[in-house]
Amino acid sequence: MFLHSLNPSIKAITVILSVILLTLVFDPITPLLFIVWIWILTIGVGKVPWKRYALFFSPFLIFSVGMFWTTIVFANEPNNPKNVISLLGFLVPEEDFTTALALSLRMMSFTSLTLMFILTTNVVHLILSLMQQCKMPPKLAYGILAGYRFLPSMREELGLVRSAHRVRGVNRASSIKESIQQSKRFAVPLLASAIRKAERTATAMESKGFTDSRNRTFYRTFTVSKKDWLFMGLMLMMLILFASISWYLGYFKWYSSEF
Amino acid sequence: MGNWRLKEIVVMAALAVVFGVIYLAFLPVGNILVGFMGPIGYEPIFGVWFIVSIIAAYIIRKPGAAFISETIAATIEFMLGNSLGPILILVGMIQGIGAEAVFAATRWKIYSLWVLMLAGMGSAVTSFIWGMFMNGYIAFAPSYILTMFAIRLVSGALIAGVLGKMLSDALAKTGVLSSFALGKEQKRKKAA
Repeated sequence: MFLHSLNPSIKAITVILSVILLTLVFDPITPLLFIVWIWILTIGVGKVPWKRYALFFSPFLIFSVGMFWTTIVFANEPNNPKNVISLLGFLVPEEDFTTALALSLRMMSFTSLTLMFILTTNVVHLILSLMQQCKMPPKLAYGILAGYRFLPSMREELGLVRSAHRVRGVNRASSIKESIQQSKRFAVPLLASAIRKAERTATAMESKGFTDSRNRTFYRTFTVSKKDWLFMGLMLMMLILFASISWYLGYFKWYSSEF
Repeated sequence: MGNWRLKEIVVMAALAVVFGVIYLAFLPVGNILVGFMGPIGYEPIFGVWFIVSIIAAYIIRKPGAAFISETIAATIEFMLGNSLGPILILVGMIQGIGAEAVFAATRWKIYSLWVLMLAGMGSAVTSFIWGMFMNGYIAFAPSYILTMFAIRLVSGALIAGVLGKMLSDALAKTGVLSSFALGKEQKRKKAA
């Protein structure tokens, strides 16, 4: 499980760097090759079950398709209106088609990178690693961990509020106005109890001697090793390789040429 | 964060986590709208994604509340599965800076409805500049870009500013905020 054991901070930085580099590129080939590479990495190396992966990916596919057609429909005047291609019976300027394809494939490459990261990374580990490697203040890091801990109990709380409403004979909303009022009836008690819990947790932490000092020890320590840098290097090298393949095929385009 | 009490940090984090989930829940809503209307589909509800900055800043009233809460909410949203990925953390920061800049302009002293609405619009401005380049809005026709921007501004002012204030005031009424800046202000108002 190579992907799972990488340092979360380095993994995040690698993904962010890849995203930034991908945004500079404006051709369809580079992101397409990169998507395939990430899929191989996630499902082949990361051993993420492909059915689960498909389930996570499908909503974003819809978004990409939406992005694709709107870019064609709402595109600016093309520079060479004469080059047209036929798409589902419509004549579309070739330039607009390439731009739309590049945009939607770029979206999908971001999605692939994200899924690779979140399906192989534990949130708690990420925050601990951010505190240990990226100098996040312990006060903030443990504050977030405490807040994150409230998430599972929120669902329980929601059930409680719902039962309380039912006991008191509050009807379910039928009109838009009522459903707005209803969402307020849910939001306020839920937020109020979250705030109360947070306040209590903070008091408990302080009474047990929690301080913001950086000279603290950790139960779980995270370190950066050679394989983390190896991963970062590999990802960036592959991206450059794909860009050069695209260059070789004559598709490569910088983002700046769009202005 | 030196002058922040631990209590304030944990409460801000809890709010950010809750709204991180809400942000994610609104994503499919946006995606459906986008599927029908194109990229403009997000704009009417875009203010939803700025709301935690307004709420946290309005309740805690310390420099950084708007910025940090939005960043945490974005981080949580991304970890639970948003398509934008870790870049979303950056998006959260950019949205947070917009709201924070407005609060900074009042030296973190004025928290009236107008300032909150302006803060929501501040997030709209910074997030739109980002969207222009990163989401490639710049490839669209100018009139379409302008319409998108106008709708986002209104959404930021109304959903983030007005709704955020209403929600915080309703929370203050329950008494849970009695040890925070907003709760104290309301107590003073009552006494007066």
